[in-house]
Parts: sequence; C-alpha cells; structure tokens
Amino acid sequence: MQDIFNEITQDFRYDHELNGCLNCGICTATCPSAHFYDYSPREIVQLLWTENVEQVYNAMQEKIWACAQCMTCAARCPFRNSPGGLVMIMREVAIKHGFESAKQVLRPFGRVMLKLITTGNQLSPDMIQPDAFPDWGPNIQKVEGDLQTLRNAIPVKTLQTVETAWEVSLKTSVEMYTIWEMTGVLSSLETMDENLYDVIEDFIDEKREDYEDWLEEQEED
Amino acid sequence: MADQNTPDQGGIAGHGSFFQPTDLSPQEAQAATEWVRKEVDKRRYQNEERVDDIREHMWELEKDGEIIVHRIKDEHEPIDVETLYGWNKRIPTKQLWHHKSCGQCGNIPGYPASLLWLMNNLGMQPGKDYLDETDQTSCTAWNYHGSGIGNVESLAAVFLRNFHQAYVSGKQHGYDDGHFFPLVHCGTSFGNYKEIRKYLIESAELREKVTKILDKLGRTVDGKLVIPEEVVHYSEWVHVMRNRIASELQTIDMSNIRVTMHVACHYYKMIHEDAVYDPNVLGGNRTAIGTAMAQALGAQVIDYSTWYDCCGFGFRHIISEREFTRSFTIDRKIKVAQEEAQADVMLGNDTGCITTMDKNQWIGKAHNQPYQVPIMAEVQLAALACGADPFKIVQLQWHASPVEELVEKMGISWADAKANFEAYLKEVEKGNIEYLYNPELAYGGTN
Repeated sequence: MQDIFNEITQDFRYDHELNGCLNCGICTATCPSAHFYDYSPREIVQLLWTENVEQVYNAMQEKIWACAQCMTCAARCPFRNSPGGLVMIMREVAIKHGFESAKQVLRPFGRVMLKLITTGNQLSPDMIQPDAFPDWGPNIQKVEGDLQTLRNAIPVKTLQTVETAWEVSLKTSVEMYTIWEMTGVLSSLETMDENLYDVIEDFIDEKREDYEDWLEEQEED
Repeated sequence: MADQNTPDQGGIAGHGSFFQPTDLSPQEAQAATEWVRKEVDKRRYQNEERVDDIREHMWELEKDGEIIVHRIKDEHEPIDVETLYGWNKRIPTKQLWHHKSCGQCGNIPGYPASLLWLMNNLGMQPGKDYLDETDQTSCTAWNYHGSGIGNVESLAAVFLRNFHQAYVSGKQHGYDDGHFFPLVHCGTSFGNYKEIRKYLIESAELREKVTKILDKLGRTVDGKLVIPEEVVHYSEWVHVMRNRIASELQTIDMSNIRVTMHVACHYYKMIHEDAVYDPNVLGGNRTAIGTAMAQALGAQVIDYSTWYDCCGFGFRHIISEREFTRSFTIDRKIKVAQEEAQADVMLGNDTGCITTMDKNQWIGKAHNQPYQVPIMAEVQLAALACGADPFKIVQLQWHASPVEELVEKMGISWADAKANFEAYLKEVEKGNIEYLYNPELAYGGTN
C-alpha cells in the first residue's frame, strides 16, 4: 500500500498537480462528478496532501474512475492544484498494478480502446449507429441512407471513410504501433484485458505485414 | 434523517469524515461567496506572476541546440491576440496543416467541411494555403483521459510524430520545411498537446526518452525534436478571421438569433494561461473564442449561469456511464440554455461537447425533461450565416438536436435543402462527388 502511494508521489507530474490545499472546496463546487457520484476532488487532494495512505488506496478502487477529466477543478483552484491531474496519475498506477476494480470499470470501454489502438481514431462512423445508442433517439440522423454513401457526400476526401474517422495512411499506423510498444501502452493493455490485447496484437501484425508488402511493391515498381 | 453536517456521523456526504463544516453565519457565507465570485468566477489575471511562460524556456532550448522550434513566420500572416494572463499569442492565418479531430470527422463532419469551405471562400488555395492529408493520427488522449492506459511518454511521442509531419509536409508540394503550420481541430488535442509540450520542455528525461522513439521513426530533424512555436486551435483561427468572415462572406442577417456559447473545458481549463480573452467580450470573464465570432455576425449573445460548467462528456462516461453524461448535460446545459437564455442555438467548439449535448436530448422525455436546443459548432453557424448549404457543407444531417428550427429562423428552407441533398445523394451513388479541394492532395498530389 505504501509502495502504491510512493509511486503516485514520485510521478514527475505530482509536483505540478499538488501545491497545497486550504480545503476551500471550490474544486468540488463545480465538479460534474460530485453531482452524481460519491466523489469529491477536494477529498482526493486532501487524502494525498495529508498522506492518508490507506484512504488513497481505497479511493483508487472506485472513486477515481468517477472523474470526468474536465479539469474544471484545476482551472478554479486558487492554489493551482489539479485534482483531475492527480486522478490521472492514480489511474495509471492502478492500471500498472492490475487493480481488479480498474478492469471492471474499463470493460465496457474496450470497443473504444480497440478502435483507438488499432486505428489512431477513437471514434468512427460505424461505431456511432442507432442500434448501439438507443437512448440517443430515433432521430439520430436526419437523412436516411447507406452509411458509405452518406460519408461519400462529405466534400472532404479524407473523411469518406466508415471504419475510421478519417483515412489514416499505413505508414502512420505502423509508426503509432511502434510508439505503443516502446512506451508500454500495449503492456498496460495486456495487464487490463488479455483477450483484447490478443485481438489487437493480431490486428497490428496484419497491418505491419500489409505495410511490408506495400514497401516491397514500391521497390519493385 | 441524520444531520450530515455533524462530523461524527460521517461528515458532509462524499467529502470524508475528516471534513469540518465552517459554521459560517449567513453574512459570512455571503462574503465568502462574493470572494469566490470576484477571485475565481471572474477570470481576471490572478496568478500570472507565479506562472512561467513556457515559450521562454522553449527559446532557450532552441538556443542551446536541443530542439527545433517550428516558427510562425510572416508568410503565415499571423494575427496577435491576448491570452488570459495578458500574454501575446500569434495565430497564423494561412499555410495551415489541418490536424483533424477523430470525433469531429467521425461524428460531426460539418466542422472540418465548414472550416475548409470558409477558407476557400476567403481565397485560400488548397495545397498552398492549407493541407489536409492522411499522414496523421489523433492525439490519442481520449484513451489517456478515458482509461489511463495511455501515458505521458506515448502522448509526447504521438504529439512530436504528428507535428514533425506537419513541419515536413510542405516538401512533397515543393515548399520548404515549416511551410505548413499545424491547426488543431480538437479541444482535447489542443489541451493535451499544450500540456505535453510543457512537460517536454521542463523534463530533460522525457525528451531523452522520446528522442529515442522519434529517432527510430525517422521523425527528428538533425537528431532534434521539432516543437511548434504555438499550439493553435481552429477556433482561434475563426476568432481572428471573424471580422473578415462577417464583412466579406456573411449573407444572412443574424440579429434575431439568440446564441449561447459552450467552450470546451480543455480549450480554456488546461494550460488556461494560453486561452484567448478579450476585455470587450463578456467583460473578459469568459474566453473570447466563439462568443466574439457570434457577436461579429451580429447575433444576440446571451450569457447564462452555467457557462463555466463542462458538458458531462467525461471520455469514459459517454460510453459506459451514459446516465451520468445525459443527466449532467440536460440539467446543467440544455435545460439552462432553454429556460434561462431562450437560446435559438448552443454553440460549441469541440467534438465531445457537441456530441454530448446534441445526442442526449431525446432521452430527456423519459424523465419529463423535454428540453430541446439545437447544438452545433461555431464554425458551422458561421458557414450557415455565409450561405453554406446546410447539408452538403454544414452536414447538419448528422445532428440529433432540432437544428431545423434554427435553419428556418435564418430564412433557409430546410425542406428545399433536404430535397436537394437527397437528389445529390443519387449523384454520389453514381460517383459524381463534389469536393472542396482536389482529393489527390490528401495523398501527396499537387493541386
């Protein structure tokens, strides 16, 4: 538990995000998550500020996942603390240590992670369809039609895609995969969701092969 | 019911048992509230002396030969604006490399289409004055904020990779390095890139780590990292061009349109010293972008009590905690814009905000909260005011909120525009597609 706490406080961002706290509560007053969850940015700051190791550990089980990352807290804090930034560090440490609670919280987020890590676009037209979002209503789009045709009607060539938000070149994708590997993003993903990691690994291998083939074709030409 | 203010019964809900109530008298509480309103809600300069201007350290690193700064030059025809702390920020107005937004392109394509349409109509030449290409990823910060699986090192590497590409992108079109300057479409990317730039400039260790990655990718110049002089948001471009847009392009009288503005949190709450403020726009208490544009078009700009609130997007929440997202956006934004401001439209400048507020209105009926307000980006409204087609250019067909009423109020026939667009879709099916620029440019072709 102490090790977890030390890992948070030793992050190079920690001194940026925590300068002091008068417990004034301005951060919590307009925190959207404080309206709906048992969550208060002031509590997060106070727990870290007073080195309440056990309660910090407990907050990492659930509370930190309530934060909406809007950073309203940071903009308002008279001391220039960033509770949202502290939450970001705590989330990363929770993931690094494979907290079960983090795995559960992130499971419904897997589809977005799959899209992001494989394409570099978080959202794509094929994800935002009425069947996936019934609560967005029957009027989710104002013109009926085939999705590809509707995309082709956007007067910007790079956007006429369905599986990605815009067309991303193969070279770009392969460079991004190298970044994921070298910075430990794929390791974090493996810790969180091994099945998703396997799917993504297969996808990356396939794309890399495509890129190698493309390079060979260029050389032959 | 237990008195939640009593410390030995658990303290004030959600704030921990250690929390002590203040026991302020009503007069003292009023005084404290006034202090908050004066010191916090009013965005006057209050911390500038305690904050370093990171750009000054960037110049030093450049002088020491550690980095290359992607400069804004005279040929970019920059216009100066003032930021929250009174610092100067140069906004390039041409030779721009469009750094796209995954949310906008995937979900609200009227943003980028309207922006390019305005640039074309201001006489800009695609391939020379701006470039849209396939060699870029998003900033990938949605994963960072949403899941914590992304990390600073990965974000820094993505930032430097993308902006290196912006720096060298002119080469294949016959221009020098640095010809195109990046213009960031997304509020999250804008905040993320500024935060990451700050970390990169402050941390030699981070620079050393990412230099190895960028070297491996062939994304350094003479072994050095390339960092842009400014991180510039598309709304800042619209802001500095607003008077030209209004005077040269506007065709529709907007004086009967009531506008409310919601600025993306990550535009002005992350690295907020860099956000554009103008004492003449809402008293300088709100960042000026968007609002000043609506004023320039002659619309009625209405302030409202929850201007400062976020939209409820939450990154992870809009996907997996949708009841939070829709409750917050209805209670704090849509309902207020309708009841308090009687708004004809709520404008935003980021994909997350527009998606959240646009898509989460219908479900309100189930909770007896039937609040409906059209939601779109400020650049979409600007294009509409300048006569852009609501479907072909502004792409309002992707919106769920009742944008039809606004379009009609502006004197544009929704029914006629829709019929024209449906006829156009038949042409699209035959391959007769209209583009804003030569599509070959996206793949490195010349114009």
